[in-house]
Parts: sequence; C-alpha cells; structure tokens
Amino acid sequence: MKRTKVLMLGWEFPPVLTGGLGTACYGLVKALSKYADIQLIVPQTDRHQTLENVKIKGLNHYGIAGEGAIELPPVPLEEYAKVKKVPAEFFNPYPVGIGFEQEASALVVPEAVRALFSSNEPYGPNIMQKVATYAGVVSRIALDMDFDVIHAHDWITFPAAVKIKEMTGKPLVVHVHSLETDRVGPLARGDWNKVFEVESKGMQKADRIIPVSQYTQQCAMENYGITEEKFFPVHNAIDESETFRMPNNSGEKLVLFLGRVTFQKGPEFMVETAWKLLQVYPNVMFFVAGVGDMMDVLKQKVLERRIDHKFVFAGFLSKTNVKKVLARADVYFMPSVSEPFGLSALEAAQFDVPCVISRQSGVREVLPNALNADFWDTDKFANYIYGLLNYEGIREDMVNKTRQDLAKLSWDDAARDVMEVYDTLGV
Amino acid sequence: MAAVCFYFQVHQPCRLRDFPFFRIGKEHFYEASALNVEILNRVSDLCYLPVNQIMLDLINRWEGKFKITYSITGTALEQLQRHRPDVVESFRKLAETGCVEFLAETYYHSLAAIFSPSEFERQVKLHEKAMKNILGVKPRVFRNTELMYRNDLADILESLGYKMVLAEGARKYIGSQSTNQIFVSENNKVRILPRNFILSDDIAFRFTDVAWNEYPLSAEKYAGWLHKISGDNACINLFMDYETFGEHRKEETGILEFLKNLPGAVLKNKKFHFANPSDFLKLKPAQAPVYHSPEWSSWADEEKDVSAWMFDNMQKDALSKVYELEPVVKELGKPDLLDVWGKLQTSDHFYYMSTRYRHNPVHQSFNHYASPYDAYLNYMNILSDFKGLLGL
Repeated sequence: MKRTKVLMLGWEFPPVLTGGLGTACYGLVKALSKYADIQLIVPQTDRHQTLENVKIKGLNHYGIAGEGAIELPPVPLEEYAKVKKVPAEFFNPYPVGIGFEQEASALVVPEAVRALFSSNEPYGPNIMQKVATYAGVVSRIALDMDFDVIHAHDWITFPAAVKIKEMTGKPLVVHVHSLETDRVGPLARGDWNKVFEVESKGMQKADRIIPVSQYTQQCAMENYGITEEKFFPVHNAIDESETFRMPNNSGEKLVLFLGRVTFQKGPEFMVETAWKLLQVYPNVMFFVAGVGDMMDVLKQKVLERRIDHKFVFAGFLSKTNVKKVLARADVYFMPSVSEPFGLSALEAAQFDVPCVISRQSGVREVLPNALNADFWDTDKFANYIYGLLNYEGIREDMVNKTRQDLAKLSWDDAARDVMEVYDTLGV
Repeated sequence: MAAVCFYFQVHQPCRLRDFPFFRIGKEHFYEASALNVEILNRVSDLCYLPVNQIMLDLINRWEGKFKITYSITGTALEQLQRHRPDVVESFRKLAETGCVEFLAETYYHSLAAIFSPSEFERQVKLHEKAMKNILGVKPRVFRNTELMYRNDLADILESLGYKMVLAEGARKYIGSQSTNQIFVSENNKVRILPRNFILSDDIAFRFTDVAWNEYPLSAEKYAGWLHKISGDNACINLFMDYETFGEHRKEETGILEFLKNLPGAVLKNKKFHFANPSDFLKLKPAQAPVYHSPEWSSWADEEKDVSAWMFDNMQKDALSKVYELEPVVKELGKPDLLDVWGKLQTSDHFYYMSTRYRHNPVHQSFNHYASPYDAYLNYMNILSDFKGLLGL
C-alpha cells in the first residue's frame, strides 16, 4: 500500500522546548513515521536531533544547500487581521515575551533567515516577524516538495499552512495544542490581537482539525465558532520513562507547581489554595518550578498573604532537575485556567505523584483518577491537597489506578488516530 | 408443596454532607439532611407508599395465601418516622395482616459483623427495639447487611437467639446442590435460606433489559419458570431490594403490573404456595446440606463477596479507622455519640468509595459523590471531626 506523504509544519521541536508543544510534536511525529512519510519543517533544528524515516528541515540552516532569497510582502499578516499597534509592555502573554510593536519587514536573504531562526528564543518580541518569514520561506520550499497532506501545529504555522493549501490545493489538517483563548483568556478577543484571527482563519481553512482534547474542541467551537464535524480529537500520550522516588527528608510535605507562571496556569489560584490550606495545615511547602510574566505578581501575592516562607521559587528547571523534584513531590498541583492538554500532569503521574488538576483541562480526560475541580474552586483544591497529605488510604489507590490509565496511552494509538483522520480525506 | 419466599430489603442510609477540611473542629453536624429528605420523599412516593398499597391489596385479595417478608434498616425507619409517618403507618398496616414478616438486622446496616461482635450485638438489639416500638413486631429470623455471611456468624446468631438466617445462594457457597432448599450452618445450629440469585435478578435487574432474550417478562412466564422447579420441599427464595419496584424500575416499565399479577400466576399451580421464613422454623429440621462460607459472602456483584465494601485501600483505611474508635466511644457511653458513630458505620459510605465498581450503574444509584476519592476524603474529614468530639 502507498504510504501517505505528510508535509508537517511545526514550531517547537527538541531540543527547542518551552512547553508541551515540542514534546507532543516529537512524540507524534516519531510514532507517525511508522505509518507515513513525513517531511517536517521547523524554525530550528539541531543536527544531532534526527528521527528515522523523517526528513527534518530547520530554517536556521536555510540557504546552506543553495536555496535562494525569498521575497516577502511588506506586511504579510495584514490579510489576517486589522492590526492596531499597542505598546509591547501593555500586554505580554507569551512564554518569554512577545511584543507586537515589530512588523515583519521584507526580509529576503538566506543569511537573514538563518539569523532570525538561530536565537534560543522560539517566540520573543519579534514573533510576528518570525511567523511571517516562516510562512514566506516554507510556502516557497513547499512548492518543490512532494506531499499528499499538510499537517500544521498551532497558530505560528497556520499562515504558512494556509498559503501552501491555497497554492497546491492539498488538504490541510491543523493540530491544535493550545489556543489564544487558553493563553490569554478574554483578551484574545481584543481587536489588536492578531493571534486569535490567525487561529480563526487557520481552523476555518482547514479540512480537518485535531484538538488535543475534547475540552479544546469545546473551546474552539465556543470561542471560534468552528463547526463540530471538522473535529477529530486525539489525546497526547507519553513515552515510557525511567522513574524513581526519592525520600523527602525535609519533614515538610511538598506540593509541586510545574509550568510557566502565566495567566493561563492560574498561579493566583495556587496562592489562594495554599493560603487556605496553610491556615489549617502548616506542614507543607509549595515548590514552583517555572518562569513567566506573572512571576512578580505571584511573589507579591504570596507576600501579601504572609505565606512567603512556605514557597520555593525554583525558576526554570532542566529535565533532570524536574525529575528529581517529581521524585520527591507529594502532590502535583495544576490549577490552570484553561489547559488544552497538560502533558506535565502525565509526567507527574508517571512518577506516581497524585495529581490535583483543573477541571478546565484536557489531561483530565485521560487521567480519570486524578482529583479535579474548577480552577476557581480553591476550597476544593485545598480540601483535596489536605486529604492527600493527611489520609493514608487514598494515595495508593490513586497511584495504582493512574498507572492503569497511563498504560492505556500510547503515541502509537495517537498516530493511528491521526492516520484515520488522513483517511477521511482520501489521502 | 413448594414454597416461594418473597423478601425485600428496605434501606436508606443517612448520607453525609459535604464536609471540607476547614470544618474539622468547627462544625459537628454530618448529615446531608436536605438530600436525605429529597431521596426519601422520592422513594416513598415512587415505591414505599404505592407498593405497600399494592401488597396490602394483594394480601387482602388472596386471603392469606400471599405472604411477603421485609427487613427495614434502623436508619431507614428513623428517617421515615421523622419525615414520612405515612409510610411507617402503611408498614404497620401490613404487619397487622399476619401475612408479613419483618426480619432482624443491624440497626445501621453496618459491617459490624465483620469488625466487632460486641458492636454487632448492640446494633441487633437496637434494631429489635425499634421494630418492637415502631412496628410492634418481634423478628425471629435474621438477615445481615447485604446478606453477608461467614461460617462463624452462626455462632453469634445462635447466642443472640436466632435460628435462621438469609444468605446468598451462589455456587461457591452451596456447591452443586439445588439452591431451592434450606441449608444449615457448619455448626448445625442455624438454618440458612439461600437466595436464588438467578430468579431474583430476573426481576431485580434483567426485567428492563431489552437485550435479554426473555424480555419482556410477564408474570405468567416467570411463574412458569418457578413451576418447573420440582421437589416437595422446594423453597424458592426471591430476595431483592424493595426499591426495585417503582424506583430502580419505574412504573412505566411494567414492574408494578408484573408484581400485581405474580401471586395469581404462582398460585395457579396448587403445588405452590408463599411462605415467610419463620414458617420453616416450625418444620422439623430435616437432614440439610451445609452452607459453606469460610470467607465473607454477600449478595453483591458477580463476586458475591464483600469486595464492594472493603477492597480498596481507602475502604480498608476508613473501616479500620472508624472501628478503632469503639473502646473510646463505649467508654464515654454517651447515647448521641454512640448514635453518630453507628451512623458512620453504615455500609453505604464504604460502598461509595469503591474504585472497582465506579462505573457500575448498580453502584451509582443514590450515590451523591463525584468519585470514590471524594467519598473517602469527605468521610475522613468527618471522622477527623468526630475524633475531636471524642477528645482524640
């Protein structure tokens, strides 16, 4: 049987990782390569990062093989949205700061493309320039490539994907790992927010949409008005990993918050929860692993509540250090306001850490034995954490059941589900 | 003559209110009063009241030939007395007919038989007293919570004066012998009526199952199955939840019509009659097969054991924590604390904590918790508060 040829457009890919997007893309591409021929284009690759049966192209190497200059329209994203300029400091939702003050310019030479995509920051204040350049370069490269279907991951690749679809007529599958409405809430609808429009257009132009959860499908339907029949949700999975437990000798229980400290992750609900818990049960430390634009606000709130001595702010942790803290944690706490999936909860679960997670999350669909509450219900979060730290009967039951839930997840199943989505397109 | 013994369990627990950890040490009221009343009213209006009336009419119509048996838990009776005296009155009327027998059991529908013989005895006595005071009857036959039985229960029952008990008729306890006969305990002191679980579940579970090849089930067809059971001393024990009629299975399923037609259909064959368990006490004990249950049996699920209540760590933890309070509660001897402690022993609380049967619809009926974890944590918070009341 003929293997489907997939043009896959991604943004984060190992070793460039800021959140779950890169990890999920990697897991999926790797598993999917068993069933399909994949050509993956990402902004940045590492020559050491190879995958069998997958051709990976990084724009940080653009031109080295003799590719020519690219002509870009002066405002390539103009067609997506009417843009009003706002000061960058007014609003800063992205992992490490995205501004809107810089528009893409008519950047053309390969050296400039390479330079643009060689920074360690996949987003940054010039994100729109990157997105526009990616769209221009990739749509040009795609003309010389042979593929049956375009598969694009998240908004940053959507302009490129839509353009390629328009030029080639090939069917478009967009994969939604996260939406602007998850990341910034109602602010996504601000008329100066281009990302919302890019996502809207991407999903409208797509032939199929793969959200990472039913929850995300609901969000896309409610906030973007996309009709139900386009959606084929496919849950993320997690590769087996060597896990271990380490004794926590501090004498205090450890509650772990792992992720970007941004509006989306609900850090202020963590503070409320901690405060309520600490009134009754002081023998606990909250460990915050991650950075983000709400860090100062979080620290301020912790001070106001006079519980700063019960918080550790560890900053961004390496994978090795994440594992060490997971091995010691008593509870993993994810009070996200809106979490399309939440891969880090699966990592915690792998380490046998009981999870207390937001009901507004996709991961809860695959972790039915985690405890969940609405993100604003800090009474309930505190009650769950209190129970997990005080009553010995629950941990083992949750952990055992969760192991069974994890065993049901595999990237191979996810890849097969994606193949079925391709099948519905007749490719 | 073959006897048909038709028995119904009537039970409502005192469900626990939402009790978050910050109430520990501050508020000491544990019952979900509004919810309990709501459910009690629903079950009373859909089942207890109308079905009691049907039973009364049937008894009158068949002039003593239709006999039925109930056990009503103390927690159900107490709530009915407080909120639905009309239902209590209708049970009283049934008691007066002489065709209705009421059985003994633990007042709190608890697992005390498993955890504490002394507490078990206290609850059996408490239940006897309630039956006498409220319904004016003196039970002579015992049934334990959810038909739980183990060989050594017979010794305890005998010491309490009971010579007959109901139990589950599963193969692993009765071997290859016919279910439709009276068994005897290992110590040869107590007679055992084994539930015919196939014929019982035909009514209790399969009646509304459209995929069942016998669907729809008519009283005539069902009586035909009973009539095929041979043997002069056959005793067919049909034991089920009373709420099956009108609540678990709503009136529109035809379950009440089925019930109305059943006595006539059964009695059509002159070799068949209805009996109450205590009727068999009058019989001279014949040579009876031994009911063998070295581990605890019950009428629950496929396993017919007690795993629905004490399989998960949460269940075991909660049970051991509530029973380890016994010496302190009894030392204090305060009636209100004893009552609260008894209510915390009701088996339903532990049933809600079962992860194994989380998605089983039978387990979900009347369950007000979102998950077994919620059930456990809420229970443990309440127990923490209760320990505070005991000075622990």
